[in-house]
Amino acid sequence: MPLDDIALFSGYEYIFAALLILYLSGALLSLLVCRSQKGSNAVANVAAAAASLTGIIFCVCKLLIYNGRSFDINLKTGIYPISISFHIDNLSAFFVLVISLLAFVASIYSMGYLKHYYNSRNIGVFGFLYNLFIASMIMVVTSGNIFFFLVAWEIMSMVSYFLVVFENEKPETQRAGTIYIIMTHIGTAFIIAAFVLIYQYTGSASFAEINASGIPYAVKNVIFIFSLIGFGTKAGIIPLHIWLPKAHPAAPGNISALMSGVMIKTAAYGIIRIVFDILGGGYLWWGTAILLLGGISAIVGIAFAFMEIDIKKLLAYSSVENMGIIFIGIGLSSIACSNGNTVLAVFSLTASLLHIFNHSVFKGLLFLGAGSVHYSTGTRNMERLGGLIRKMPYTAMFFLAGALSISALPPFNGFVSEWAIYQALFASAGTGGSWMKIIIIVTAALLAIAGVLAAASFIKTFGTAFLALPRTSAAEEAKEAPRTMLAGMGILAALCLAAGIFPVHLLKLLDGINREMLNASIFQGAAGYSSLVLHSYEGNTSISPAALAIIGLLLIPAVLLAVRYMSKNSSFRNYGTWDCGYRRLDSRMQYTATGFSKPVRIVFRAFYRPQRELQIERGSSRYFFKRARYKVSTVSVFEKYLYEPIVRSVVNFARRMRLLIQTGSIHTYLIYIFVVVIAMLIYYARA
Amino acid sequence: MFKLEEILNILSMLILISAFILVANKRVNSYIKTFRLQSMLLAAAAGTLGIYHMAAERKFDSAIIMCLLIILLKVIFIPGMLNRICKRVEYKVEKDFFINIPISIIICCGLAILVWYVISLIPDIKGAYEIMFLTNSISLVMIGLFFMISRKKAIGQIIGFLVIENGMFMAALLTTFGMPMIVEIGIFFDVLAAVLIMGVFVFRINESFDSIDIDKLRNLRG
Amino acid sequence: MFQGIVKIVVQLIITAALAPLVSGIIKKLKARVQHRKGASVFQGYFDLLKLFKKDVVVSHNASWIFTATPYIYFVSILAASLFVPAIPQLFSFGFIGDAVLVVYLIAIGRFFMALSGMDTGSTFTGMGSSREMMISALIEPSMMLVLFTVGLNPLVGSLSFQAIYKGFAAPGWGFVSPSYLLLLISMLIIVIAETARIPVDDPSTHLELTMVHEAMLLEYSGRHLALMEISASIKQLLLITVICNVFIPFGSNAGVIQALGLYVLKVLVISGVIAVIEINSVKLRLFSVPNHAALAFILAVLGFMSSFVFGR
Repeated sequence: MPLDDIALFSGYEYIFAALLILYLSGALLSLLVCRSQKGSNAVANVAAAAASLTGIIFCVCKLLIYNGRSFDINLKTGIYPISISFHIDNLSAFFVLVISLLAFVASIYSMGYLKHYYNSRNIGVFGFLYNLFIASMIMVVTSGNIFFFLVAWEIMSMVSYFLVVFENEKPETQRAGTIYIIMTHIGTAFIIAAFVLIYQYTGSASFAEINASGIPYAVKNVIFIFSLIGFGTKAGIIPLHIWLPKAHPAAPGNISALMSGVMIKTAAYGIIRIVFDILGGGYLWWGTAILLLGGISAIVGIAFAFMEIDIKKLLAYSSVENMGIIFIGIGLSSIACSNGNTVLAVFSLTASLLHIFNHSVFKGLLFLGAGSVHYSTGTRNMERLGGLIRKMPYTAMFFLAGALSISALPPFNGFVSEWAIYQALFASAGTGGSWMKIIIIVTAALLAIAGVLAAASFIKTFGTAFLALPRTSAAEEAKEAPRTMLAGMGILAALCLAAGIFPVHLLKLLDGINREMLNASIFQGAAGYSSLVLHSYEGNTSISPAALAIIGLLLIPAVLLAVRYMSKNSSFRNYGTWDCGYRRLDSRMQYTATGFSKPVRIVFRAFYRPQRELQIERGSSRYFFKRARYKVSTVSVFEKYLYEPIVRSVVNFARRMRLLIQTGSIHTYLIYIFVVVIAMLIYYARA
Repeated sequence: MFKLEEILNILSMLILISAFILVANKRVNSYIKTFRLQSMLLAAAAGTLGIYHMAAERKFDSAIIMCLLIILLKVIFIPGMLNRICKRVEYKVEKDFFINIPISIIICCGLAILVWYVISLIPDIKGAYEIMFLTNSISLVMIGLFFMISRKKAIGQIIGFLVIENGMFMAALLTTFGMPMIVEIGIFFDVLAAVLIMGVFVFRINESFDSIDIDKLRNLRG
Repeated sequence: MFQGIVKIVVQLIITAALAPLVSGIIKKLKARVQHRKGASVFQGYFDLLKLFKKDVVVSHNASWIFTATPYIYFVSILAASLFVPAIPQLFSFGFIGDAVLVVYLIAIGRFFMALSGMDTGSTFTGMGSSREMMISALIEPSMMLVLFTVGLNPLVGSLSFQAIYKGFAAPGWGFVSPSYLLLLISMLIIVIAETARIPVDDPSTHLELTMVHEAMLLEYSGRHLALMEISASIKQLLLITVICNVFIPFGSNAGVIQALGLYVLKVLVISGVIAVIEINSVKLRLFSVPNHAALAFILAVLGFMSSFVFGR
């Protein structure tokens, strides 16, 4: 880097500080003006939008121009070794970019979305928490010091808890919040343990200075397991996912977009930071463990998603799936790293980072879409929706774009990263030993099922919520969402398409991370790299979404013209759907979301354990039902067979202990203290 | 002039004795009186220390502030508040004990001896005065704890708690000549808050159970 | 550049022209074996022409998705066929696309078809969508396994069909191995399931109990139906082409005319095989399809194991 660049560069730290200050001032100002709801709404969202726009520009510049260096900001606090220190390298900058991008869109969206909280909730508090939440996520991914990281992590967890329970009068929200806070703190405990171990064995708390070479093998393994559990909880990896499908739907729409879109990605950041940056890639079994967990999460997450009829729950479970896919990429990269195959490691890591970006865009879009539906109809239950494509055409279009992306259909962005993950799997299978081949092939098969089930889930969601006839009056009277909300979704939908057609430009942003983590570049393997062609590992295959788009753009008019020519004499007529000769088809005769998923429920009944309940109220004749009520439910196996036994045994233990120790008499407690003090005195005397 | 350590030694012995008096008492009114006396002695110790230091170093010493704070809180405010509580509740005399008073006093003597023995074993503590100070103050802590155990009425627990705090304060004052000012003030307000809360609890317990016998709290267990 | 465009056009024409013929041939063969005379093998074309001339009736309930689906399906399938050309010579522009892309291009069609099934509010079409998704969820992993195993073959080492064609095109019988036969059977089951044929689905009835693929098309008429029908037959041809060029590769690196001739012959043979399977089996109960799919999956896994694990 030339010298004058370095001189320029010192200014960049101020930009970063400025964006954090913008968030914090947005938070405080929105609290200050909380008397005026409109004022709070405007202040909070404008500040957040401005800050995140700054963040986007800052990160793009960092990743494209200053990707050879990292920024450091240090503020001493006087308590060693805790200092407020930021260390922004390419990995951090990438995550800040992802967070800022979604935060920007969510802020625009919130301006409209918050209106339905007017007069029922305190907008000022929401704006405060909202800004603080984004700021804390940015602090998590930019902190340069393990202690500051933990502080930021904890702020993020707490603030997100308050946002989850924002609609706190609903009992299910409270329950979701409780489960969330418990799970997230279990995770945090493991992260703290891992970090303390790192600190103890390296004597250094700063991410940039930690040198892990002195850590013994066994301790490294322990650190890895702890951080996998800790970050896995945040990521919602099976079987630590149980909070995710409860907490994300409970939060307001814009918050669930941020939580699912970016907050859970901080876990991926943590894993990458620990495994690649601090521990240097790891051992074979680490990667294998991450890979297997990822594969299981992908399939189990989407299998649960397919059964949900609550749009946001379905989306939350699908986040579990996508985190699984991200973990598959990270696992493959770690495997390649431990085998010394840097090029493959780079490819896999890139695939996974690409998916992180793509998932945050399309999952953000889908959650915002679900928020719009909730805004307009007041329900998230797709069985009570229907026909929204006519009432909310733009929302429907944007939601469809998100659904196409998440189903990994070209030319949308989900396809590109899924393709890259498949290529990484393929290349790893080609280089690994027999066992590795079996594991990878099984993962690929799981990923294939997950892909189809994801498509099926979103066909179900879109088909029941947006298509056909409205099922309730709420759906019938729905109105299109306000412009700001549409604008937010529109930006993301456009981004889905753009990132799907021009993925290589995204790779250029990502490449700095590879050079930083693995000292290699994705562009060095394939010769003659065009910016429109995406090459696989060692260039052995390639796709060009841009060429595909061109083919599509040429073929569609050609086909339209040809069809018009061939059927020029035929007419077009609207008529009712075929109703088998009955008088009229009504919305109750449509296929339902529950019905749509039934075949899969039956085929995989061993996993789902469906239970049905049929209540029939008969009228005067036994052949005519007055009312019938059919209820089908699936068992969430992890809650039933993993968590419930644990919780039950803890509760039983506590109950028994309470009878034994906790007598309720203060004197007994005092005697405990007394005895302990005496015992300590005597112990000290003996020693 | 007396030597500073001698005065402090005498005062600490007096404080310990006041603790024994407390254990020997069974009237709630005299609990409070004894506690007030003990706090006065403690304030005197802090004051003496402060005056000696000021005389020696010719600058203001924070021990004087401590002394004033003790007088304000532990001699005037807290005992006054406890008196008010006692007037509201009807129990003036402790009737049934877990351990009767003579045996209590013997146990307290045993505690003091145990503490002395342990302190004397610590190799880093040298000098008769220091051993004496520490023994007295930690014995005070132990006796306070024991007092809490042996009394059934809630007032007893409050007094015991305050005695423990006095013991801690004395240990800090006499061995290191006072903790940092900020820490001391922090502890003071902690104690104040704790006593206020406990006072409120005594009312509540009295209202709910028609008695301040904390054994009845056993019924709260679910 | 010009050559590439010519190749694309030739490939598109071959696909579009041959596809209805394959369906016609299968129908004719079936009829002959059942001692019926059967319709002409060109009946498919006549049907299409007729359908293009017919009026279109669209439900009141349907949205733009319903009208757009036939075009999207047709275009995505045509695009997919570019990546699986009839003969290796037809790969144009060093072709940019691979097996995963083909699988997902096929998935676009399925996605929109299932959506349009949900669009009209008809019970039957919704049922078709639901069943279609179940079947493809069962079939997809086998498909991915077969493609991975083929791609991992040391002759190939890539997922692009160009490399696969090239790897197997070498003369001789070197490609035949136990693994290969297992994969071939697996692939046949996949093709049958994906093209909605007996025993998984019955393409010739609209009976409620058997309806999967046909059910989704129930509301379509006129040119829309024509596009859906032709897309389905292109998809069938595409999958048969995969079998032709991957599993019976000989002769594909001969001269263009020779290779094309051989290709047509191979397509005929495989159509015959599919027809024979269809004649000799009965339509499975919907919930027996998983067993069928499991067979494909197990065969694919065994194929993979025998070439990469057992041999080592």
